[in-house]
Amino acid sequence: MKARLAGLWRSMPLRLALLLVLLFATVSLLSLAASYAVTQRSFEQAIRADLAQDMAGFRAAPSAGAVARLVEAESRETDPNRLILSYIGPDGRIYGNGAIARDNEGYHIVSLGAARAEYTGVYLTLTDTLYGGLLTIARSRAEITALREVFVNILLVSLLPTVLIALSGGLILARRSKRHVEVIRATLDRLTTGDLAARVAPGPRWSDDLLRIGEGINQMARAQETSVAALRQVSLDIAHDLKTPIQRVSVHLDDLARAEKTGGDREEPLARARAELDGIAKIFQSLLQLAQVERGDARAHFAPVDLADLCRKMAELYEPAAADQGKELRCDLPEGPVLVEGDEALLGQLLANLIENALRHSGSAEAVEITLQQTAGETILSVADRGPGIPAEDRGKVLQRLYRLDRSRGTPGHGLGLALVDGVAKLHGARLELADNAPGLLVKVAFSA
Amino acid sequence: MKLLVVEDDTTTSTYIARGLREEGHAVDVVADGRDGLVQATTGQYDVLILDRMLPELDGLTLLKTLRGAGNATPVLLLTAMGAVDDRIDGLNAGADDYLVKPFAFGELSARVNALARRPQALEQETTLRAGDLTMDLITRRVTRAGQEIDLLPREFALLEHLLRRKGRVQTRTMLLEAVWDISFDPMTNVVETHISRLRAKVDRPFDTELIQTVRGAGYRIDA
Repeated sequence: MKARLAGLWRSMPLRLALLLVLLFATVSLLSLAASYAVTQRSFEQAIRADLAQDMAGFRAAPSAGAVARLVEAESRETDPNRLILSYIGPDGRIYGNGAIARDNEGYHIVSLGAARAEYTGVYLTLTDTLYGGLLTIARSRAEITALREVFVNILLVSLLPTVLIALSGGLILARRSKRHVEVIRATLDRLTTGDLAARVAPGPRWSDDLLRIGEGINQMARAQETSVAALRQVSLDIAHDLKTPIQRVSVHLDDLARAEKTGGDREEPLARARAELDGIAKIFQSLLQLAQVERGDARAHFAPVDLADLCRKMAELYEPAAADQGKELRCDLPEGPVLVEGDEALLGQLLANLIENALRHSGSAEAVEITLQQTAGETILSVADRGPGIPAEDRGKVLQRLYRLDRSRGTPGHGLGLALVDGVAKLHGARLELADNAPGLLVKVAFSA
Repeated sequence: MKLLVVEDDTTTSTYIARGLREEGHAVDVVADGRDGLVQATTGQYDVLILDRMLPELDGLTLLKTLRGAGNATPVLLLTAMGAVDDRIDGLNAGADDYLVKPFAFGELSARVNALARRPQALEQETTLRAGDLTMDLITRRVTRAGQEIDLLPREFALLEHLLRRKGRVQTRTMLLEAVWDISFDPMTNVVETHISRLRAKVDRPFDTELIQTVRGAGYRIDA
């Protein structure tokens, strides 16, 4: 119970409610105090004005005797709790319904009646000399005291219910938001313990900010789930694709051992084992490079690259290799430079992969065409062959790492070429499109200008 | 030449050291970065072969410390990481060349030899010669045994690169880097096809072969 209260106390809505209550109470108190002060001052001024007027009335009397008689007459009529008149005549006699006495505790007003009782109320007094005597008029401040009570009552009546309502509202909100936050926390708990399928299910009365946080968490969880699944798939693929060549190396080494004993050919199994190991190293190299391209670090040193020049260079590099296979590399490039922002080495590798892919998979068909087109908003690089192409339903899959069409299993390559092309295109914000060249494969990389 | 190999994997370091000794070099081997730094600063070496991942002190830090102390010995950095950024990091730290594991010994040997002779390659020549072949760098004409040979610009560059490094092996990757400015390894044997085109023009019509294939390493024009 104590812990729960402590938890509630730390919750945001309750704190906000308390803060508002405190603010409201302070404002009410201040405004009431201010109006009390103003009202009290004007009451006091009214009383002082009355006192001055009374004094003026007595001053109008012609002589000390007349003043004494007037005081006597008047004081008989008035309630000493409201008004006290006291005239000390020139002869020392005291007239009126009270007298000002002084002792070491201060001034007192005492009754002139038989009991000489002291009046306990608080009074405002005015004293003046009149015909050799001393006239004191005191008016009670009881009305002002009553006023203070009225103000305190107003304060209690208005403030207490507000505080109570705000507090209980705050508590209710705090408990509700605690329940909502609890839903989010539970989801995060499940996500951290590895259940990546966990999602925040928002209730109908969730506030907008919590909804946004929940949506954000779900988005993060979805991304995480996808990338973990991809990673798992890649690990499986790598395991599978590397086990086969490692197995072959082992076979070649066995052959070598047998040749050692029987005096057979040692060169061939040795060369084969080395070739397999080179292949394995290349797969690793490509995977590492793919991972690095996907990380996007290269964007930091992008610079303008002349695609036309790069196309010419790569075509020139591969031209003899193509000719050896009885194929032709044709270029259709604009005269001037075609600039895109990018990483020249990676774009060169993208082109090399596309050209190698086209040469390798185009069978006996003769021409591979590299073209560069500039439209209003895009620069389109395309490499087209006239081989068997890729069936439409497989075009998405060939971009995945280590994926190879069944019919390509016998040809060299490790299924990472197009994945790297895809990665490099994405790094450059370019759109990669595989299309039918009727016959053959047409690969388009569209860079936005 | 006197060489220092700093490499913690004994299989690799023994393999490198044995190969280099067979080629006639004096080779010292140390297995961690701290010893490597001490050895490199106290001994007089022609080339350092430095692994990037080392115990005690990593290769890049060792290299930076060495360069910071004004030591300019050529350094060949060995690494398991081959991506472009790592290459740039290595070269920025002061490496003169970079070799990605796994590598063939021929590649290592060719690069070590290239490093050791790098400062002398600066001399300005206008004519390069090998046997009865002459390359005029100003008129860009190539003749062999009095006959003029017609070369495409890239073939000319390839032949010029080999001639300038007469007697030294140039590997496929070295040629790709120097002639085409390409730092990745294509799957297709593009260099072989260019070399065979060049041979068809430079060697085939004549009696002797100038461009030699060095098995498991690359190509060389004998001095």
